[in-house]
Amino acid sequence: MGGKVTCTLGEVKQRADFIIYWGGNPAECHPRHFTKYTIMQKSKFLPRGRKDRTMVLVDIRETKSAKAADIFLQVRPGKDFELITILRALIKDQPVRDEDIAETGLDRAAVEDLVRRMKGAKFGCMFFGMGLSMTRGKHMNSAALLTLAAEMNAFTKFVAMPMRGHGNVTGADVIMRWQTGYPFGISFNRGYPRYNPGEFSTVDVLVRGDCDAAFIIGADPGATMPQPAIDHLARIPTIVLDPHITHTSRLARVHITTAPQGISAPGTAYRMDELPMPLSPALKSPYPTDEEVVRRINEAIAKKPFWLPDGGPSPHQWTSQVNL
Amino acid sequence: MIRITGGKIYDPAQGIDGQVRDLCIDDTGKIVETVSGGRIIDATGMVIFPGGVDVHTHVAGGAINFARAMTPEDHRRTQAFIRTKTRRSGLGGMAPTTFATGYLYAGMGFTTVNEAAVPVLSARHTHEELADIPIIDKASLTLMANNEILLEQLEQGEYERAKQVLSWYLWAAKSYGVKAVNPGGVKAWKYGHDAKALDTPIDGYHRLTPGQIVTNLARICDDLGLPHPVHLHCNNLGAPGNITTTLDTLARLEGHRAHIAHSQYHAYGGDGWDTMCSETTVLAEYFNSHPNLTTDAGVVLFGDTVTITADGPWQHLLYKLTGRKWGNLDVENETGCGIVPYTYRPSNVVNAVQWAAGLELLLMIRDPWQVFLSTDHPNGGCFWRYPEIIQMLMSAEFRRECLKKLPDRVKSRIKLPELDREYTLLEIATAMSAGPARALGLTHKGHLGVGADADVVVYEEQVDIQQMFSHPRYVIKAGEVVLEDGDIREAPQGKEFLVRPAMDPATNDFIRPLFEDCYTMKFEHYPVELERIEHPDLRDCQPPATS
Amino acid sequence: MNLEVIENATCTFCGCVCDDIDLHHDGVRIHKAERACVLGTAWFLNHTAEKKYPVALVDGEEVSLDVAIETAATLLHAADMPLVYGMSNTTCEAQKECVALADLLGGLLDSHTSL
Ligand code: SF4
Ligand SMILES: [Zn+2]
Repeated sequence: MGGKVTCTLGEVKQRADFIIYWGGNPAECHPRHFTKYTIMQKSKFLPRGRKDRTMVLVDIRETKSAKAADIFLQVRPGKDFELITILRALIKDQPVRDEDIAETGLDRAAVEDLVRRMKGAKFGCMFFGMGLSMTRGKHMNSAALLTLAAEMNAFTKFVAMPMRGHGNVTGADVIMRWQTGYPFGISFNRGYPRYNPGEFSTVDVLVRGDCDAAFIIGADPGATMPQPAIDHLARIPTIVLDPHITHTSRLARVHITTAPQGISAPGTAYRMDELPMPLSPALKSPYPTDEEVVRRINEAIAKKPFWLPDGGPSPHQWTSQVNL
Repeated sequence: MIRITGGKIYDPAQGIDGQVRDLCIDDTGKIVETVSGGRIIDATGMVIFPGGVDVHTHVAGGAINFARAMTPEDHRRTQAFIRTKTRRSGLGGMAPTTFATGYLYAGMGFTTVNEAAVPVLSARHTHEELADIPIIDKASLTLMANNEILLEQLEQGEYERAKQVLSWYLWAAKSYGVKAVNPGGVKAWKYGHDAKALDTPIDGYHRLTPGQIVTNLARICDDLGLPHPVHLHCNNLGAPGNITTTLDTLARLEGHRAHIAHSQYHAYGGDGWDTMCSETTVLAEYFNSHPNLTTDAGVVLFGDTVTITADGPWQHLLYKLTGRKWGNLDVENETGCGIVPYTYRPSNVVNAVQWAAGLELLLMIRDPWQVFLSTDHPNGGCFWRYPEIIQMLMSAEFRRECLKKLPDRVKSRIKLPELDREYTLLEIATAMSAGPARALGLTHKGHLGVGADADVVVYEEQVDIQQMFSHPRYVIKAGEVVLEDGDIREAPQGKEFLVRPAMDPATNDFIRPLFEDCYTMKFEHYPVELERIEHPDLRDCQPPATS
Repeated sequence: MNLEVIENATCTFCGCVCDDIDLHHDGVRIHKAERACVLGTAWFLNHTAEKKYPVALVDGEEVSLDVAIETAATLLHAADMPLVYGMSNTTCEAQKECVALADLLGGLLDSHTSL
């Protein structure tokens, strides 16, 4: 990650008078986002709630979320990066050609109006969804948007935040960072964590046939990944933990049914702004929790011979490295 | 049971200055008069210190975890801890992973650390990380000087109410004490402003000034009898000429106890970057005449690091100055934080002044019970570089060598070339263990008297001071040998220190509606449950007797 | 019907992680998820405390939990380059065990984020 200028959702609730959703459809994917955290909330700084806030939606199509927006900007598919780059130029009063603006599917008046509103805001916030981070440009798009938010701070307060979905994926990200230094795409095959998305990310690993066993938990790659990846999962011993028999369970050697989190398994989950929330399960499950099963697997493996010679010296020195 | 024989003991609290004595440790992990049987460690010719205590560091929670995300390139080039059958893997570097943090601290003989800046809102997260830092004991401080619910009470002049609210927050966060960062300034940053003058009302308030926040927080900490006084990061950090603000702030303490964080960053003269110079003489003088104050130096070391602080406006400035990555995280109602990777260079005059100023404070504040080793990790440099600082403190000759690397135009702006003082081993033991333990109010730490926690570090006496302090021969934590001959042998779980100051039970109902106004989570979910803390150790508060 | 209520339950279906849901249940099913949205309601109401699936399967055969855990451990231990993947729909407590697993195995560790 380059930089990120962000905040907790309570700051948005209290202060954001200008909110952009970019490449996301909260009305259908994060249904309570508007009411709990953003445009519908009243606060001591924005006592009239919705009336004190402006919402802009930028997306390639007019989703249900457009109804909630004051301004809808339809960007041409695959042109998000270009539009962000144009905004970065315009906020700094750099010249941009009409034909470059037209490329994005918008006209100059609309883009300049957006820039004026962004700069006029007291507290601006951009939420970006999968429509931005999973389409052409991918993490380049998110990085550009984060940079735009950072640069806006030369004019007014501005922050940005990814709209993360998928249950507790934020928790996985946060925990991997503190335990390994990296958020995902990690290899421990040298005995310590290394990071290389593209090399160590799952789809690539599976498509190349680079792993010889798979432990799948809280996900169903058998339903969502490209066929060559699924084929490899079927070829190797795959172990699945899930509350349901999933597509992946059907091609796995081992399936263990576990209690669903927050319904019958206690614990913690992180919100998209990286705040942890305790879970209060209502039902008693006949199945064990994920935590219990993985811990028992760890204990069983710990009884077997360890794969590295124990107690060996680290290849790196215990000295400080100073790069002057 | 362990008996360490033949070692030269340095125990400042008991005035033991290198005398050879036996040290005995019982099975409960305490220092005792004598033991019969058990292991005997022959420490003949070696040097024995109480385990190191870091009074101010940033090792767990949202901010450092943000920094980890921003510096993958550093993780790749840094020291790796290889997984063993019993020890988790990890990475050192500018923002070490949790497991590595424990190994690195223990690896240089530190056994207790104080995480100095935790928003209540991320206390739950911070405690999870602290639980994943093995071996060492931990405490954490709660950010209070920009909490809008608290500030509102002070604005209304409701001192008693403010005290109750603060107590409530400390227990909700399962915290050990109060941290104040840039009083009022972080709050103002929420709309892109700062608070620089101590007597100007803060953005959004009619009366309340940063100076009043300082006075009130110091008084509340004393009235609640917290073991650690207010831990204060003054306004105007890092700015040329900020010595005026710092002295002004110290005057607002009105005789209350306080610990001043990383005072190096607050001891500058000049009126711009071109004229910035060290003003440590006046600041050191202030400490020399005010024994109720302690401080940590916040030494800057040349090289790469990542800066993280709740001082959001300062970080925005640093980002503009460096043009490097910038992370910022504002936390509703409470605080914010900024993250900027940074390289301190000897050729950079500002950096050179900073480097000198940290050492000057350590050398010019006469009483080592008042000034402690710190780099404000990772802000001035990484904690695992402390042995470099020790070498500079113990050898004027080595300092002269280092000074040669600085550009000539720096020399007129610093005092360091004139200072000949050299720390003795007893003074080092004071500045890295006994002093910080006493300032934290951890009466069972930082000394080797009977009844103390058996946190002991044994060094091989060497001419190369840096080598000596980087590679202890033995480290014993709570009576267990955790490091021997350069290898981590055991990685037991340490304790966490907490306080539960007295509080009017009605405070809960008072805070609830205010909370619901600005937060987005359920009030019931906000306080961290005591069961969530691994090995909590509740320390007593001792409020002054009321007459 | 006499329903028990769990107040302030937390929904983990999307990244909003709403923690203000009141769950009305009879011990077997949740009948009402107050304040949850359509997605959250579906999530809560679709799970039951009934035993709908076998506890564990190895090669399609029902086995005990102990056997499944031992088999999983053996297969993972035998592998040269095992992969630990997913972790979206699970608790932080389980996620920590997953990181420990990949660390212990010297394997690969990845989440949904890499997609
Ligand atoms: S209730 Fe709806 S908005 Fe809230 S977490 Fe569940 S699915 Fe998301
Ligand atoms: Zn600090």
